[in-house]
Amino acid sequence: MNKTAFRGLFLLVLAGTLLLRLPRLGLRPMHHDEANQAVKFGTLLEKGEYRYDKTEHHGPSLYYLTLPVAWAFSKQTLASLDETTLRLVPAIFGAGIILLLLFFGDGMGRPAVLFSGLLAALSPAMTYFSRFYIQETLFVFFIVGFLGSLWRLAEHPSTGRALASGFFAGMMYATKETSIIIFAAVGGAIVLTIIFRKKTISGRLPLPKIRMIHILWGLAAAAVTAFIFFSSFFKNPKGILDSMIAFKGYFEKGGSAGFHAPPLLYYLTLLAYSKSGAGPAWSEALILGLAIVGGAAAFQKKDRRLLKANAGRAEKPFSSATSAENFFPKFIFFFTVLATAAFSIIPYKTPWNLLPFYIGIILLAGMGAAFIFQSLRKDYLKVIAGLLLAAGLFHLGWQSCRANFQFYADRRNPYAYAETSPDFLQLAKRIDRLAALHPEGRHMLIKVVCGLHQTWPLPWYLRSFDRVGYWQDWPTAGGFERVPLIIADEDQAENLGPLLQDKYQAEYYGLRPDVLLVLFIDRGFWEKYLLDGKK
Amino acid sequence: MKKESIIFAFAIICILGSATSTYLLSQSQDSNKEELKLQLPKPMFIGTPRNIKTPNLEIVTGKPRGPFFVPKGTKLVSLRRAVTASDRQPVIGEAGFVTDGEKSGEDGYFVELGPGVQWVKIDLQGEYDLSAILVWHYHAQARVYRDVIVQVSDDKDFIKGVTTIFNNDHDNTSGLGIGKDKEYIETNEGRLVDPRGIKARYVRLYSNGNTSNDMNHYVEVEVYGTPAI
Repeated sequence: MNKTAFRGLFLLVLAGTLLLRLPRLGLRPMHHDEANQAVKFGTLLEKGEYRYDKTEHHGPSLYYLTLPVAWAFSKQTLASLDETTLRLVPAIFGAGIILLLLFFGDGMGRPAVLFSGLLAALSPAMTYFSRFYIQETLFVFFIVGFLGSLWRLAEHPSTGRALASGFFAGMMYATKETSIIIFAAVGGAIVLTIIFRKKTISGRLPLPKIRMIHILWGLAAAAVTAFIFFSSFFKNPKGILDSMIAFKGYFEKGGSAGFHAPPLLYYLTLLAYSKSGAGPAWSEALILGLAIVGGAAAFQKKDRRLLKANAGRAEKPFSSATSAENFFPKFIFFFTVLATAAFSIIPYKTPWNLLPFYIGIILLAGMGAAFIFQSLRKDYLKVIAGLLLAAGLFHLGWQSCRANFQFYADRRNPYAYAETSPDFLQLAKRIDRLAALHPEGRHMLIKVVCGLHQTWPLPWYLRSFDRVGYWQDWPTAGGFERVPLIIADEDQAENLGPLLQDKYQAEYYGLRPDVLLVLFIDRGFWEKYLLDGKK
Repeated sequence: MKKESIIFAFAIICILGSATSTYLLSQSQDSNKEELKLQLPKPMFIGTPRNIKTPNLEIVTGKPRGPFFVPKGTKLVSLRRAVTASDRQPVIGEAGFVTDGEKSGEDGYFVELGPGVQWVKIDLQGEYDLSAILVWHYHAQARVYRDVIVQVSDDKDFIKGVTTIFNNDHDNTSGLGIGKDKEYIETNEGRLVDPRGIKARYVRLYSNGNTSNDMNHYVEVEVYGTPAI
């Protein structure tokens, strides 16, 4: 494939990526995790304050990288923020992942880069979480950057490439604690690739000539990058220490899955085939299947002609030509197997946690697709393979549309996890309309009496009200006289109901599947609302 | 004194007499009624929703609904009757599921209509004195369906002779008037609506999304009655 054709096709892939990531970003109600991140970002935006919390919230990169996007849209306060602005951040980084695949051009060849790009662009898992304001897509972006710059460093060692590798490693660490799993998988993959590197007539292929100084530069860049972010740009130096102490809590959380305890093969099963009752079937089996082909191709024996050619090269230092055929596919294979195994063994599982290893599967799948086309000698077979692949890609894209624009908050969507019900938007709308009628407007008092797990994403939806109080138990919430609005979970509402009697109109709203909230509206205020509706 | 005794005795006789006649009348009325026997689907979600005692939310007792009496000879008159829906192309299932006799809460037994206000209409293919209408929207989850309205009529277009027998649209979102009935959480018992013997051929049920999503679902609707005289 010549360069011009590659560039044109790559731009088309990029356009497709954006088409699935940018439209209607505000459609899905905020997930409680997104809302939590959003409110934390709001503090950074309004007050310039951020302190790493070693017990929750993951790393600081998401918040700091949201700042430029918020500024670009002239958002200065939490109240002025909206879902689209926030979700633009993962959407941009999601598209950035495709761009970073260009790092691998020498390692896997242009056709494989194109195929990987296409698969990543259309994968429902990748698109769904590229529209989700959590750390995962940024994390995958930095993983791909790290793998790519590490690969470039191996090909042609230089200080710049060592610094780039370190930067991406530091950003991975500043994004999610699970970066240590990826570092371990990369380390293991390097060792296994060296052990299993191809033999030639004159012995095993030579290794990259990376000097100690490059390793030191890389480590220094990683440490400096991580320190800058965890210390809140030098305002809280203790943050870097907290980031290490945090592992204790995360090890405990990961080991005791609680209600997040799906089986060992949860991730692979979810990707292979999911169906909930009469709901639609979901499958990314095409990617899994192509990845198996790609994995097998990484270990295929070359014919004698190639073996001879390699024998000639074996005398020369590590080069892209030999590495492309022998090192890179094996490295990606080992990395993917190790990372997949590690994430599967950890009892704590959520759908978005599959992304860090799924990108490895996608790279293998890209190589698998390229291998199929390179192996087919007859043109008609290539046409048949092309048609089958096109059908598979169409199916992936169709599922992505369904996941993001139809079943975006529906339990029949396997990627939707403890999703906020669309009905929750009705609650937000009702409160907005009531506030418009209240003499105090957005200064009116709202009391939220909900358990910890029933509180979010309320703080996000009530962000423009400045008199909102949160309690977990009704006796601690003080009096309820003349409180215009009270929001309670079912437990608290059971006790509040008799207390409030007929002074309040009550309405049910859905928070999540099987979780209801009750909105109590002062009876007089409600009558006024109804009268206003008649006008 | 004698006069007072006579008045007292007369009052006692009146009270006893009216009580006896009321009892006898009610007995004769009850003898024309029988308990409606229902076949309920098995419960799908574990745990009982909380009992929130407020004027406009239905009390959840967690106990079976008490007996409901209907005129003798009452039969299920909606089984496999023609159903039309406002959503001509349901997202999942088909309108016929509403009267197919399958009440299971599992997936595959409900019809899903699109978002917003939607309705289903059952043609009983004859006039009946209606004695009970039961509706199961979806009972695999603790959900509340919004703006549930049940109307009956002998006009297939529901333009004239329309009677609303249930309406919990407390803010008139659907535009069919403010309803005073209570919001309720779906269970395997379904919601029983008492049509009080009204004569009708068509039954139309409205809803406007639910607390889990903005779609509208029906597992089953059962209409009980006797042929209109």
